[in-house]
Formats: sequence, C-alpha cells, structure tokens
Amino acid sequence: MEFNENQTQTVQIADPAVSVAKPELINGSHALIRSLIEEGVETIFGYPGGAIMPVYDAIYDYQEDINHILVRHEQGAAHAAEGFARVTGEVGVCLVTSGPGATNLVTGIADAIIDSTPLVCVVGQVAAHLLGTDAFQETDVIGITIPITKWNYQITRADEIPEVMAKAFYIAKSGRPGPVLIDITKNAQNELMSKEFSYKKCENLISYRPRLAPKVDQVEAAAKLINEAKKPFLFVGHGVRISHAENELIKFIEKTDIPAASTLLGLSCVSVDHPNYVGWLGMHGNYGTNVLTNQCDLIIAVGMRFDDRVTGDVSRYAKQAKVVHIEIDPAEIGKIVKADAPVVGDAKIALEMLLPLVKENNHKEWIAEFKKFDAIEDEKITQPELAPTTEKIKMAEVIRTLSDKTKGEAVILADVGQHQMMTARYYQFKKPNSFITSGGLGTMGYALPAAFGAKVGAPDREVVAFIGDGCFQMTIQELGTIAQSGLPVKIIILNNNFLGMVRQWQQLFHQKRYSFVELQNPDFITIGKGFGIDGHTCSAREDLNASLDKMLASGKPYLLEVIVEKEENVFPMVPTGACVADIRLE
Amino acid sequence: MTTYTICVFTENTIGILNKITTILTRRRINIDSLTVSETERKGISRFTIVIRHDSREAVEKLVRQIRKVIEVLAVFGYLNDDIAYNEIALFKVSTPIGAKPIDIETINKVYKAWVVYWHLTYVIIQKTGTEEEIFEFFDYIKPHEILEFVRSGRVAVSKSPQTLVDYLPEAEWEYYQ
Repeated sequence: MEFNENQTQTVQIADPAVSVAKPELINGSHALIRSLIEEGVETIFGYPGGAIMPVYDAIYDYQEDINHILVRHEQGAAHAAEGFARVTGEVGVCLVTSGPGATNLVTGIADAIIDSTPLVCVVGQVAAHLLGTDAFQETDVIGITIPITKWNYQITRADEIPEVMAKAFYIAKSGRPGPVLIDITKNAQNELMSKEFSYKKCENLISYRPRLAPKVDQVEAAAKLINEAKKPFLFVGHGVRISHAENELIKFIEKTDIPAASTLLGLSCVSVDHPNYVGWLGMHGNYGTNVLTNQCDLIIAVGMRFDDRVTGDVSRYAKQAKVVHIEIDPAEIGKIVKADAPVVGDAKIALEMLLPLVKENNHKEWIAEFKKFDAIEDEKITQPELAPTTEKIKMAEVIRTLSDKTKGEAVILADVGQHQMMTARYYQFKKPNSFITSGGLGTMGYALPAAFGAKVGAPDREVVAFIGDGCFQMTIQELGTIAQSGLPVKIIILNNNFLGMVRQWQQLFHQKRYSFVELQNPDFITIGKGFGIDGHTCSAREDLNASLDKMLASGKPYLLEVIVEKEENVFPMVPTGACVADIRLE
Repeated sequence: MTTYTICVFTENTIGILNKITTILTRRRINIDSLTVSETERKGISRFTIVIRHDSREAVEKLVRQIRKVIEVLAVFGYLNDDIAYNEIALFKVSTPIGAKPIDIETINKVYKAWVVYWHLTYVIIQKTGTEEEIFEFFDYIKPHEILEFVRSGRVAVSKSPQTLVDYLPEAEWEYYQ
C-alpha cells in the first residue's frame, strides 16, 4: 500500500493576515479530469486498477460532468471508444490501469491507427521512482505502443498534465486522426500541482503542422486532369467521412457527372440511390467497379490509401489511368500507387477548392458501362443471394431485410469476416456516417464493443451490429457493459458455426482442407439472458421478418441469433495476388 | 546498393531514437551508422542515419514515414555527393620495446592521423575521414598489431548553400520548412 502525504493534506486555509488568497492547488488526478472536461469530453470508457486508482478517486467527484462507462475488458474500452469516435467525429477516451490494463488496449490502439480513428488512451503507470524496477503491473507501454500510436508520452509530474493533455487531444483529432497514449505515473496522479490549474487548448505545434488547405497549383493540376478525362472514376475513402466532406463530394460528382465508388470505410458517404454511385471497391466489391478500375483513364482518390484489399496485384492495377490523389497524410501519396496529381490537404477543403475549377460534364455513357456489369452481377450473385432456394437462411437476406426495415438509415456495425463483407454488399446505405467496421486491422471482436460506443455517441439513431459466431465470442463479455448501460444496442449474430471467411479460403485455395474452422458454439441466447439481455433465435426463413421486427421494436438491448447457411461463400472475389480485372463471380 | 544519409531534426525528448528506429526495423532496413547530437539550436537534436538501399523510392517513402513522428521537425535524405561527411576513428596500436617503430611522419603527412596518447607499450592514434580513408589507414597500420579499433558514425552537413535542402522532389515538401 502506497502512502502519499499529498492525499492526507487538508486544504490550506488562507491566512487572514495575508491579503492575497493562495491559489487552490489540485492534484494530478483532478487536473487530468479537469483537462478532459476542458476538452469537452463527456464520456470515458474505462476499467480501474491499482496504478490508476487516484484518477478513479477523482472521477468520483466529477460524475455529473463525466459519464464513465465501466467495460468488462480493456480491449472493449478501446473498441467502444473507437465506435464512439467514428460515429461522433470526436475523440474517444479510454482510461485504464498499468500493465495488463495497458496491454489489453493494444489491439484497439492498433485498430485505431490503421483506421485513422482519434483516441486518447490514458494509462496508469507505477510511480516514477519504480520505473524500470519490474514493479507490480509495470510494463513499458510507451515502448510497446510506439509503432501503433500517432503520439505517446509519459507524464511523471502533475504540472505537466494540462499541457500534455491539450497536446494529446490536438494530435489525436487534427490532420489524419489517430490514437494517442498518455502514460501517467501514480506519483503524478497523487501529487499536488505547484501552480493553479489552468488550461489552454493546443492549436499548433512546431513540429507537427498538418496541411489543411492544399496548394493552389496542386488543385489546379488536379482540375486539369479531371477536365481532360474521358473516363474519370472517383474513389470515396474514409477521409471523406473524417473531414465531413460528404456534401462537397456530392456537389463535385453532380457537377462533373463522374461515377463514384466507395472503399469499405467510405461506405455510406454517398447514398446507394445516387445516380453517380456505382458501388463498392475491392476484394469483395462490385464487379463493375473492379473491372472498370482497369479501364478508366483517371482515378480521383479522395481520402483513401490504396489498401491491398482495394488494389489486388498493384503491378496490374489501373496502369492505364492517371491518378489524382487527395489525401491529408503526405506519406500516403505515392506509397502504393503513384500520383500524377497529388493534392495534400483536407478532403473537404480540397473538394471546395476543386469545385469552381472543374467543368460541368456528362459521363452518362461511361456510367452506363457500370450498369452493364451490375446486370451480370445482379443475375449471377445478388438475386440468388437475396432470394435463395436454400433451406437455410442466407446472410444477404437478413442484411437486406434489415436494410429495408431501417430504410438504410441505421448505424450499422459489422465485425470481421464473411458477414462483414456481406453487410458491406447488401446493406443499402442511404445516410452518411452509417457504417462502422474494422477495416485495416480486421479485428475480430470489434463490433460488439464498438456498437456500444456508437450507441453512446449516437443515442438517437438505431444501432445494429452484425456479428459472426466466431467474432462474438472474442468480446462476448461486453454484453455485460451493454446490459448495465441499458442502451438499446441491437445485435444480430449470423451463426454458421464456422469461421466462415477462413473456411471459404480453405475451400477455394486449400482443397477444402477445413483446418480448425468449425466451432462448437454455446447457446448464445442463454448467455445473453444470463447477462440480462433478451433475445431469440431465428432459424426459419418465414420467421425472419417477425424476428427483425421484434428486435427493432425492443426498447432495450436485444440479441437476435440467425442460423444461416453453413457453407456459403462471398462473391465476387478478387483472390489475393490477382488483378482487379480478374474478379471472380464464382 | 546505394548509400543514403538521412538527417532527422527532432525535439530533444526521451524516446525519439526508439520512435525513429522502429520505422526502419519494421521495413527491415539495417542501420549502417547512427549519430545523435544537439544542433546549434538548443533543444533540437540531429540524427544522422546511414543506410544502404537499392531502391531510392523506398528511401523516399521511409523519409516520409519518419517525418510523421510528431517530434520530428524535418527529415532530409542525401546521396553522398550532396553532403560533406566524416567519421572519426581511434586506433590503439601496439608499440612494444624492440619492435619496429611506427612512422609518425607518414601517419601525419600521408594519412593525416595524429597520436593523441602515448604509452610505453602502445599509442592511440586518431584518424578522421571518410569510411574509405579510415580503412586505408587501418590497412596501413594493421602490421603493427591493432589492440583496439573504434569508429564513430557518420556526421554530415549538406553542401547546399541553403540551410537544409533535401533531394526529395516531393510536392508537399515546402510546407515542412
């Protein structure tokens, strides 16, 4: 048990003989919480423990200002904060203890950096004098998280707290957003600040100056290429959502009449109903978008990074096309695909600047080419998926039925695997900022805590998570968090008793040698009920409508398990190492 | 393989070395030499990292990744022709009684090396120069039995009249200045 004399000090009473009132000094823990309040933080996802106890003691005094949500595992805190950050566009905040508390965050932090999600993770640490002694629950979390944070810093003195926290929030949310980890030693939490607490938000840093407005000559060069192109093709990435550029993007594609396709994380930026929207890109994306990537003469990539799941074999990727790359992170320019006209800056500002420079145009014939491919895909894949003749329900029908029932306007989460790809394919997104999934890292277990975080961030929207039976068991304990909050998060388990995507690959590329992909699952509904969450199982097609209605009508968290076809595959598919034009329909 | 010298200017805080080296390690790039010191401006450190690579493009990408470290103020990648550079080496050379004496005149005049410490049975010679010059001297002095040899990392400044000039043609570069 640590004894700290600061904790036992009574508030100093000003000497009446002294006319100047002494400033009221607060300890590091209070300074930390007040810093969070200064940043406008209302919600923290956390889990207490030894090295963060002084902060938890301080939170006790601020329960009216800050809603602390107790998760069941620190990974859940990180994903919940991500879900919150993604849906609100604000910084998600986690608070955990040292050692295992910190290491349990690691998956979530890695997920956040690759998906450009702003987090501030505050992690307790042993007292400064114990650093490096292998003290109880000491771990070098700074060392561990260097490659997966946008910035990290260890605070060892209470006086540092306001300035460092201001910097942390500024770095997390500005430029290309990302996770920041602040490791705070226990002595810094306990000790009194030497001066009165004052907080000044950070607005710039000498060594970090993300460029927001792109250079005019870059925008002009891009506009020239756009105006000259016969078959331009616009890619909508996550950056469009992050910079809230949806309206500017719509104006841009309507003026230029350029067809737009979306990456996984760009989904929902453009409504599926928009005449210029031609679909989804990448490995399980649409037929036309992939094939025509290799026939367009100009790619306009907005806030995307040419992930390998989008490009397939890069050496055979869009070699015929010039590339305009609008991107806030200069390191992404030319990283995978050479940019003929790089535009470094914020997507919204870049599109605003481009709009007056681009000509009104008509690309109806070019857009019609996509429709031809759509017709083939529709006949060979989409219709059989949506109106199957199988006895068992298929994932696509569940997703599309829910899409219709929610008018394409719910916040949809998908975990990782076949059901994720199916959700991206079959949910008809009609409202911006509606799809949250782990794209870059592919973190199984993401969706349940992230759905909870999203519901906290958007309590007025319907939040539905599609989760596979494998994924669900990775963060199943967060049912406890959801139950305790009472928030009506709707969970749909698409249960095929398999690790479906791995099984699909084993079927297609490993001669059906099903190596450790079949699961003996628990009774999910009983588990849900054990946590206090109501639910039921749907295994017959004729019950599907009523099941979804029942789930949506519930004003509480609800768990719907749908037993789906065991061995269905996601198509179209660009196999690893193949060219986008060689996309397989079966 | 081409030798590249990467000069990184950073704020002088704890852990920056780790933040930079992890970027190289992740891309399986080995560091030939590394020197860190404070610059003419207080609180600003200068890293001189020498690597060999067969892809200039990969080095350019590396430079841009290093630039992303929050504490990094600027990064410049140089070819050997772009910089004046040197290393320093110390040789502890055996001079036992009765052995052939070392030729101080040749050491000084030909090799521009200096004896910095005399002992009864050995001397310590300091040699500055490029890696090649140091190894030329190494070969010359080797017959005298080298008891110890140590070579520093490279230090380099650009030949450009501008204060810091990169050879990277990237469009985004100006805004780092």
